Amino acid sequence: MPAAAHPAAADIPAVEARGLARRYGDAQALRAASFTVAKGRFLTVLGPSGSGKSTLLRLIAGFERADAGDLRLFGRPVEAVPPHRRSVGMVFQRLALFPHMTAADNVAFPLRMRRWDARDIPARVERFLALVRLEGLGRRRPDELSGGQQQRVAIARALVFEPQLLLLDEPLASLDAKLREEMQLEFRRIQRELGVTTINVTHDQREALVMSDQVIVMEGGRILQDAAPETLWREPAHPFVAGFLGVGTFLEGVAADGPALDVAGRRLPGRTTAGAPAPRPGHPAQGALRAERVTLGPAGTLPPGSDAAVEAVVEDAIFEGDRILYELRLPGLGGARLRAIDADPGARARHAPGDRVAAGWARGDFLLFDASDRTGRLP
Amino acid sequence: MSDADGRSARGRAGPRPPLAAYPLGWRVLDALEAAAELWPRRWGGAVKWLMLLPALALVGLLLWGLGVMADASLRAMDFRTYRLAEEWSAANFAKAWGSAAFWATARRSLVAAVAVTAICLALALPYAYAMTRTRRPGLRRLLLIGLFLPFFIGQVVRAYGWLILLGQQGMVNQALGAAGLGPYRLLFEYPTVIFGLVQYMLPFAALMLAPALAAVPEEVERAAASCGASWPRTLWHVVIPMARPGLIAAALVVSTLTLTDFAMPAIMGGGGSDFLANLVYDQFFRTSDAGLGSAITLILTFLGTTVAAVLLTMAGIAAQGGRGRR
Amino acid sequence: MNRFPNGLPLTRRRLMAGAAALTGATAMPGLLRAQEPGKPAEIIVRAWGGVWVDSLKRGVSDPFTAMTGIAVRHDLTEDNEIKPRIWAAVDQGRVPPIHINWDTTANATSSALRGVCEDLSDLENLGGVLPLARPIGLDGVPIVNTYAYVYVLAYRPEAFPDGAPTSWQVLLDPRFRGRVALYNDGIGFHPAAQIAGGGTLADIPGNMDACWQFITRLKEQRPLLGEDPDFTAWFQNGEIDVACTISSNAREAKMNGVNVAWTVPVEGAKVDTDGLWVPRGLPANETYWAKQYINFALSREAQQVWLDGLGLPGVAPGLTPPADLVGDPSYPTSEADFARLLLVPPRIQAEHSAEWFARFKDIMQG
Repeated sequence: MPAAAHPAAADIPAVEARGLARRYGDAQALRAASFTVAKGRFLTVLGPSGSGKSTLLRLIAGFERADAGDLRLFGRPVEAVPPHRRSVGMVFQRLALFPHMTAADNVAFPLRMRRWDARDIPARVERFLALVRLEGLGRRRPDELSGGQQQRVAIARALVFEPQLLLLDEPLASLDAKLREEMQLEFRRIQRELGVTTINVTHDQREALVMSDQVIVMEGGRILQDAAPETLWREPAHPFVAGFLGVGTFLEGVAADGPALDVAGRRLPGRTTAGAPAPRPGHPAQGALRAERVTLGPAGTLPPGSDAAVEAVVEDAIFEGDRILYELRLPGLGGARLRAIDADPGARARHAPGDRVAAGWARGDFLLFDASDRTGRLP
Repeated sequence: MSDADGRSARGRAGPRPPLAAYPLGWRVLDALEAAAELWPRRWGGAVKWLMLLPALALVGLLLWGLGVMADASLRAMDFRTYRLAEEWSAANFAKAWGSAAFWATARRSLVAAVAVTAICLALALPYAYAMTRTRRPGLRRLLLIGLFLPFFIGQVVRAYGWLILLGQQGMVNQALGAAGLGPYRLLFEYPTVIFGLVQYMLPFAALMLAPALAAVPEEVERAAASCGASWPRTLWHVVIPMARPGLIAAALVVSTLTLTDFAMPAIMGGGGSDFLANLVYDQFFRTSDAGLGSAITLILTFLGTTVAAVLLTMAGIAAQGGRGRR
Repeated sequence: MNRFPNGLPLTRRRLMAGAAALTGATAMPGLLRAQEPGKPAEIIVRAWGGVWVDSLKRGVSDPFTAMTGIAVRHDLTEDNEIKPRIWAAVDQGRVPPIHINWDTTANATSSALRGVCEDLSDLENLGGVLPLARPIGLDGVPIVNTYAYVYVLAYRPEAFPDGAPTSWQVLLDPRFRGRVALYNDGIGFHPAAQIAGGGTLADIPGNMDACWQFITRLKEQRPLLGEDPDFTAWFQNGEIDVACTISSNAREAKMNGVNVAWTVPVEGAKVDTDGLWVPRGLPANETYWAKQYINFALSREAQQVWLDGLGLPGVAPGLTPPADLVGDPSYPTSEADFARLLLVPPRIQAEHSAEWFARFKDIMQG
């Protein structure tokens, strides 16, 4: 059963979910989730723990059943199909390798269970061990392999039987930063090489942006945004999405025409994002600003490239090697706080705690969101 | 935090909170620590041996007893004086070897050890599995109670309970009688003894298996499913091999306890289904032949040790497989 | 605490004991002796439980305490389990765990052969009892037999609508497959099996083929093997129809409302005795009082009450049998009664019991 798409069925999505819902006791883990994933694409479901992303994955794998909604894999309803009959490979959070089997036996396991011709198995196992760069390590047991090598065994095991769909349940979460970045690229490479449709679940925004063609951001069991990584970065449709994608500062105020945000009598110009409802003038609103888009200058000046500036007092200056993070207090805005990052500390003067400075930004970097219903706000 | 810091802090005078402010456990440990200070530091290495002493004493006692038995097993009983011979001989072993009762009871004990172990593992596995996997706390509690309750009821009491239930006028035969069947003799046969032993050993097996099954992550079972394994195949290829230490521990306990059991065959066997332990009892307490009794005891000890060694070797291979060459 | 030498001090209890001793002069002549050793606070008598210890207490122990002031404690350890402990104590020069062992004569004989029994030939009451009281073939009197009993054929009358069985051959009747019971050491059955199998009593122990063949055929009946309490329970629960058991057990079951009867078949039934003995190694005064206990147990007064409870014929002459056992074949009193029964000398039993036991087990466990 090759995963290669039939030309006639090319327009059928790999995954099609309509109103999927799942409840555990009193907790609504998943609320009316609808989305599609096209064949061959790499989707990442991004969200904090408890957002429902793992539930979504378990529904697709077939480990759990939805309370409501419709799920189709490659056009076929899978409600009644048990996990072992779905053509779905999965890499688990804690890898879940079989500790009593060698790496090669682990990789051969899906082939044996799916009754492949025993004569084909060894060569195929070798091929997939080579694919994940584990040539010659097939006779080792999982506890004789390093963390990264175990990861590769898990990938080979999930892919060896040519599943139509590959699911990744935060398999990189437990790795150290360097190895994680390496494995992200590795996943991407293998996924491209095999062209298998992949759904990855993670709470790491960088991982989502690096690996994916498509990202779904979830929170509280709900899908907040379903977009390409760049769109997500540039046009977050929800303040939560903006916050999850690294926006460090939210200023509370009232929406004004322009569009702009009124904070303690100051009018700060900004812009709305595509996909998010525009704040209505006179109603509560939020302005989101990435720390790296804030420019600092001498007090009373308009820092270069800025459309607006406010007076700020440096509370703390944290040296992070390639950059400096400033924690600022804005006395003119009722004591609101702001974060700024100087990504090129050598080029500019360092500010010390207590210094008075001007903090400025370009209008296009100040994203305005409606806050009248107060949902989805960061704590 | 250097050692010197710790010492100076300990010696520092100053207002201290009242002793009662600390939990009792802390104060007990403080007192123990103070008492331990009295122990010369140079003898610190002796402490671990000192702690082993009670266990070593027990093992020593056991070995001493075995030595006494070994000596007695080599002395034949003279039934004109009821005293064991002065000189050593293999007469008792020869007697056991030539005794039909010895072979019958030995075979019966061994067959029971194998059968009871197999049945108990087969029954305890799903029980322990359900207990460790259920998401319903009520069910888990029920299964736990079902597991521990039998431990509060001794083997003899349970055996007599079965006599009441399975007797000619017992509840089972009454129920069969109401259906126009029987009464059947359900008691006092070898299968009755096996049944009683299974019922007695099952909680032991489930208790030993539960932690082993709990140690198999559910994620691994899911991984097997995603690899295309149905649940029975997951059980066979993944859960059972991974729970192997627990299975072997359970097998060890059940098989050695069964092999050496005395009460079940005595109470539920009707006298015709004796095990080796009953034969040993007969020699010591009925015919007063301590020599033959010791010889059979040593043979039984040897059998039990062999069974344990085989199982432990299997466990060792499993553990080695997990650890591997490095 | 009454370990003072004789006459010191004169407590109320001693006074009463003295008075009792006066009235029971025939029972305890030894108490009138001038040099009576110091009394222990208590003596320990090993006994069987149930009806056995109850009747011993009523007939012997309680009156003994009333007469002497010495408390009597009953140790219900099995006779065959106390034996190795006594042997070990005597071997190691320790004080044995009991003062008096109430024992089967065959079992006691093994202790006598080993030489752990005090000689009892100087008991005063031994002069006036039946010859049965003295064990045959042993040196001196290491054991005193106190009564006889018969291994009868007990049966449930419902299973025998045509009347009582007359022969041990009934045990082989296919009707009773799985419903026959024997003692699990085969004890009490060998002579009956020897005769029923076509052999003779005189051939025991020389040629017992007849016995073993009969037992081998009986094995095909899948008999139950047990001990005294088992028989009572099995009759009560309807597990068995026939058994070779001591008449006392059948009688106890009957008194508890179980419909059981018993008979002595034409081949005869084994008669045996139980006895009392004192282990060596006790302090001299305790040995003295233990012997006095046995001496009293031989008296007519003691035996009348004790053995009424057991339904067994004693060794004191002139006992009145319990009303329900007058003329019962399991209650032999005359020479003619004993002539119908099968007696194997205890010494032969003691010397061969291990061998017979092994043979019996080989057949039954095989």
